[in-house]
Amino acid sequence: MKREIFESSVGESYVKAVCSSGLTVYVMEKPQFTSSFAIFGTKYGSIDNCFSVNGEKEKCVPDGIAHYLEHKLFESEDGDAFSKFAKTGASANAFTSFDRTCYLFSCSDKFYENLDILLDFVQKPYFTEETVRKEQGIIGQEIKMYDDSPAWRVTFNMLENMYVNHPVKIDIAGTVKSIAKIDHNILYDCYNTFYNPNNMFVCVVGNVDTETVLEMCEKRVSKKQDITIERIFKEEPEAIIKPYVEQKLSVSIPMFCLGFKQRIQSPFRRLKSKVCINLLLEMICGECSPLYERLINEGLINDEFSYEYFNGYNYACVMFSGESSNPKRVSELIKEEIASLRENGLDKKLFSAIKSGVYGDVIRRFNNVNGLCMQLTESAIFDFDMFEEIKLLKTVSCDDVYKRLDIFDYDLSVLSVINPVE
Amino acid sequence: MVVNKVLLSNGAEGLFIKNSRFNTTLVSFNFYLPIDRARVADFALLPFVLTTCSKRYPDFRKLNYKLSKLYGAELTASCEKVGDFQLLKMSISVINDKYTLDNEELTSQAIELLTNLVFEPKTENGGFFASDIEREKRKAIEHIKGEFAEKRIYSKERLISEMYKGLPYGVPKCGRIEDVENITEKSLFGAWEDMLKHSFIRVNVVSDSMPQNLFDTLSERFSSMNRDNITDFSNITPTTHADKVNKIVELESLNQGKLVMGFSCDSYGGDKATADLFVACDIFGGGPYSKLFGNVREKMSLCYYCTARAVRNKGLITVESGIEKENAEKAEKAILEQLSNLQNGILTDSEFESSIMGLTDSLKSYNDSQDALELWYSTRLFDDEIMSPDEFAESLKNVTKETAVKASKGIKLHTVFALLPKEDK
Repeated sequence: MKREIFESSVGESYVKAVCSSGLTVYVMEKPQFTSSFAIFGTKYGSIDNCFSVNGEKEKCVPDGIAHYLEHKLFESEDGDAFSKFAKTGASANAFTSFDRTCYLFSCSDKFYENLDILLDFVQKPYFTEETVRKEQGIIGQEIKMYDDSPAWRVTFNMLENMYVNHPVKIDIAGTVKSIAKIDHNILYDCYNTFYNPNNMFVCVVGNVDTETVLEMCEKRVSKKQDITIERIFKEEPEAIIKPYVEQKLSVSIPMFCLGFKQRIQSPFRRLKSKVCINLLLEMICGECSPLYERLINEGLINDEFSYEYFNGYNYACVMFSGESSNPKRVSELIKEEIASLRENGLDKKLFSAIKSGVYGDVIRRFNNVNGLCMQLTESAIFDFDMFEEIKLLKTVSCDDVYKRLDIFDYDLSVLSVINPVE
Repeated sequence: MVVNKVLLSNGAEGLFIKNSRFNTTLVSFNFYLPIDRARVADFALLPFVLTTCSKRYPDFRKLNYKLSKLYGAELTASCEKVGDFQLLKMSISVINDKYTLDNEELTSQAIELLTNLVFEPKTENGGFFASDIEREKRKAIEHIKGEFAEKRIYSKERLISEMYKGLPYGVPKCGRIEDVENITEKSLFGAWEDMLKHSFIRVNVVSDSMPQNLFDTLSERFSSMNRDNITDFSNITPTTHADKVNKIVELESLNQGKLVMGFSCDSYGGDKATADLFVACDIFGGGPYSKLFGNVREKMSLCYYCTARAVRNKGLITVESGIEKENAEKAEKAILEQLSNLQNGILTDSEFESSIMGLTDSLKSYNDSQDALELWYSTRLFDDEIMSPDEFAESLKNVTKETAVKASKGIKLHTVFALLPKEDK
């Protein structure tokens, strides 16, 4: 088994290994902890609705299918996976996002028994016409729940108006209409394509023995015929659809999400870019910034205010979100601040303080077994060493961060607002 | 894990929760006061005003800058209800000194900062500054309004306010909007004085090592203060059973409805008195092995989520579910049927064992989260001896199918709140 060991300057380490099945496994031992966390995931999410296998003809499937598969995979011929985990006391769950589907459990005891259940059920799909139909009701209710969530809607309304073609604009669970087109044949087809070990990963963090985990993954995950998946996306124009979108929902205070679409040249962003842009966002509107102080003192934002660099396969944008009595004014002030930073440069003293703060946040992450495991999935998806961030934080300069101001193009910004129903 | 309890002075104690697996040290000040409808908003606002400025850091930008320099020390404020008491919490978490790049002494600086914020606020002429109060009042009002957007939270809050109408537990933890609007510079200053004078105080430290002299210094400080009429936890008021079930329906512009049910229980109080109820509630609607998940969600597809949670110190169980409008009555009936099955002893060994195993596993994982551990200890007020999560897990071995069923028999429906779509979309 091909393996690499990664070590950090803060005394943590993990192993990355590739099994003969093609499965990539990441293990970080945390012997001082009681619990352990494991994820069995596939690089298959809601954006993968058009693809080609082994160079064959392009296939397009209904929206929401990755999420539908996630729901159905918990069932097997001999009872559902939840009932198996119930016998060990583990807490199990799963989620689908834009670029991945992950099955996971956390436990304080019987780790290997649980890992066995996880590796087993994800590799054994079992659905019939009837069980697939039955799930439509539950997923339909989940979709409706999200349709009522202002925080969810404000983000998706922004993405819908930012992206012309990229499927990141489509709701992860699809729509009631699109899931009606899903049957067991399409589910098996997608399963056989994306649940191939060479497109999958296992991440484990906690009170475990690396060798035992690797041995189990080697033995229990069967090799399938190697497969080459090509994700097919329609070309995304540089432009957005429209700069302002509004919806009325049952809220008391308006909510907003301001996005800036980034022009990108390649499918993935480099880690250094991510680190620099995250620092830049702290400089623009973090809690130590002059803008944050102004927005709070002028009564324009509250503790719900947040910002992130949102990026994945072939998409990248910066988002500022929150609640505000005047979202348009917040948007104006953010744009003014970006312009002012461009003109006047970044405050070096503030930059140094922010870098210390972010460094502390990274150290803090090692307290959390579940969070570390989620971070390893990022390493699995984007293929980078998670400790690289610590090294980068020590070396990035104020100039490196300043240069990233060019990602903000006001012509490519979208403001999404949820207003109260009158 | 070792827990040392130190009496700091009359009505003030320190807990050192030794745990060497974290890279950080967490220190919290917890002030407990009885819920008083007239002053709840003043007390609730205090932690937020105190953690945004002080004499030494007169504005929050300067304070946040200092926190960043302390390697992103996390300063948090909260107000929660613990039974009929209001818990005002202010805490700081900082990375341990050995992880700093230049061997800096962060822990002592962070503790000094927190102590300074709590005891030396920015005031003038016996009042807080109007600008500081107005800023936090606006945020608090927006927070209260914001809860309306999250219908799951809103529905549960509505249930509690109906179920405990006119009682302390029915008062929203941060007060009502009109209460927040009435806060003044003087009323908040009075609340700060009373918090220091009358609250029961618990200072928690979760760390590998006890910060030097912290408890001694605090002991001196508390002993020198003129403290009296300290919050007393000896009388707990349980939830009384309803003579007639109260049903409330509200209509909103929504796609999906929420059905929330409140149950009163015969058992209530601390961990010792409620272990059976804890298990009974979990079998009813805890994990995926529970009766509500397995039947109401999975078999009957009546809701996307359907869970039961116990507030044991009040003898309260709530069931929350997301439903279609046309299924509201069916779901309510199905939920009650599952409770009735449990009460009649229709319970397999596997259901019971899954619950014990699931609860034990999750209790053990408390040791792996600094925040969860701190919260565990700050909400343990109703037993003479505090049980650790591990000890409580161990005590579940004494719960049997019979004792869990017996506890379930004391669970009775009290109030139902349904938030339903106005019209079919």
